[in-house]
Amino acid sequence: RAMELPPSHFSAARAAAVAVGYLRYLRGGPGRGLELRALRRARRQDMDDVGHKYYLELELEDVLDKGRTAHCTAEVLYHLGSKSTAPDVQVTVQGELRSTEEADEEFYNRIRSLEKELVAENIPDSHGSVPPELEPIHLLAWAASGYVIWQNSTENTKFHLAQVKHVKQVKRSDEDLQFDYVLLLHEMVSQEVMPWEVTVLWHPRRGARVSRDRRQPGHA
Amino acid sequence: ANMKLIFFFSALIGASLCLETFVGHQVLRIKTKNEEEVKQLQLLESLEHLQLDFWINPSAPALPVDVRIPAVNVQSVKAFLESQGIEYSILIEDLQDVLDKEKQDMAESAQRQRSSSFDFGAYHTLDDIYKELDHLASEYSFVEKIQIGESYEKRPLYVLKFSTGGSNRPAIWLDAGIHSREWVTQASALWIANKIASDYGTDASVTSLLDKMDLFLLPVANPDGFVYTHTSNRMWRKTRSKIPGSICLGVDPNRNWDAGFGGPGASNKPCSESYHGPSANSEVEVKSVVDFIKNHGNFKAFLTLHSYSQLLMYPYGYKCTRPDDYAELESLGRAAASSIRSLYGTTFQVGSICKTIYQASGGSIDWSYDNGIKYSFAFELRDTGRYGFLLPASQIIPTAKETWLGLKRIMEHVQ
Repeated sequence: RAMELPPSHFSAARAAAVAVGYLRYLRGGPGRGLELRALRRARRQDMDDVGHKYYLELELEDVLDKGRTAHCTAEVLYHLGSKSTAPDVQVTVQGELRSTEEADEEFYNRIRSLEKELVAENIPDSHGSVPPELEPIHLLAWAASGYVIWQNSTENTKFHLAQVKHVKQVKRSDEDLQFDYVLLLHEMVSQEVMPWEVTVLWHPRRGARVSRDRRQPGHA
Repeated sequence: ANMKLIFFFSALIGASLCLETFVGHQVLRIKTKNEEEVKQLQLLESLEHLQLDFWINPSAPALPVDVRIPAVNVQSVKAFLESQGIEYSILIEDLQDVLDKEKQDMAESAQRQRSSSFDFGAYHTLDDIYKELDHLASEYSFVEKIQIGESYEKRPLYVLKFSTGGSNRPAIWLDAGIHSREWVTQASALWIANKIASDYGTDASVTSLLDKMDLFLLPVANPDGFVYTHTSNRMWRKTRSKIPGSICLGVDPNRNWDAGFGGPGASNKPCSESYHGPSANSEVEVKSVVDFIKNHGNFKAFLTLHSYSQLLMYPYGYKCTRPDDYAELESLGRAAASSIRSLYGTTFQVGSICKTIYQASGGSIDWSYDNGIKYSFAFELRDTGRYGFLLPASQIIPTAKETWLGLKRIMEHVQ
């Protein structure tokens, strides 16, 4: 019942982007940035009164550990006629991803020990540069963008994080780190670049959570 | 005996000071009249303590003898020559002066080289790009800078013409930067221009190509947008034209071509990033190219650079039916993608615009194809989304190099 799709077809690529966004949110963080290396196979099933379901076989890599490939299978279900419900996503990762324990502890301690709350903007800058000490902030934003991408994707959209426009750390009384981001998301089909406010909580053992997100009105 | 002693001591002093300086050294040109005089010079040559450095050794009367004499021995050697009636003239009064001047000349030349040397691995302003176009045109006789029109804000649209002769030879069109935020495309176009110019005469493929065909390269197709990405908004895509009745500016120049104009995949809302404009060719940046290509009348390929996504696409975008030349374009596209991959392993997906990216009307390669230019391809360069439009400058040259291999493969087929 599921129809085979050429991996180069845009509908397969869009579904893959949703799956990778979802996984990036779940498994990504200041020490890990997951990206799609290749889409090996894609099938689509049209389910009456339910929606369209995509079955995907993906190869992912951690940008900080490019020598290693992680094989994944994913299912993405876009709900019928719905603009307000996020697609259902299931992902299974085969094999191990590189450990981020050390990097996470180091980042956590560094930020906790800052006297003044961290503030930065334009990551990367116009020329694509990211200062090394801001790379974990960039990767954390990339992970958080995965949540926003997953929640807001339809079969007619393909989102990427274009830039961290602004980030401000907010010190908390509990153990989490909090960063208030303004992210620029690029939507490929309409070509719009949209500012999005995202509040991210992060802890070395608990990972990243988006506690609040809101699209800012207007263009970038 | 006294003379010999003086010579001996001066030689010692010179050696102990170990000077590499040639202050006061003179170079004499000696004109010998007969064999006797040649023999005298050969005797002089044998006196090692004089440290004479013969630039032309004494051999036959007819030939001049040039000799460098250390400062301390200049007077005594001259005295000797005069006492023997041997004619000489001073070629170099003070060798160190000459060396100093040469060193200065070289430093100035190097300075000139460094300041006019363009860093292809960095992003540049429009002014600096335009300066480099002038530099390329002045450095290579077969490269000419032509103005094909003006942007909305009256900036020149410059095309580099590569032509080794002939009259209206079959030609290849290559443009970059039609969407201004796609910075790796303008940057790559510059590198490619320099590569083609410097490879002509040494690379068999480029030489063969330019011996048969002309190449026209428009490195900044949307200069107003490009300047705006530098001064105000790095994410600007469109032109900067005023739209009657709207507060929003700019038209998507790749929805403005006369190919399925106004159809699906373009917006009729002026504030949209994919706004097609009030009518086809309403944008002067588009019209200038259309007019140029139509007037030329002999283009065989139309190639355009965009970023990002790593895609190599052929028509159509405005409709999802296959072009007549589908098989050939698909095959050539695959070959070009393979060439690209051969360098760094970068993978490009190949397919029609409609199947690969989205349905999009009013695009440039649809127009060129429907106007008889069979080899119409659109490239989306690096990357696949990690940096997107903000591709690190360190990736410019690798991107340009791999892209060039793909373009070259297509051009070889077109020849």
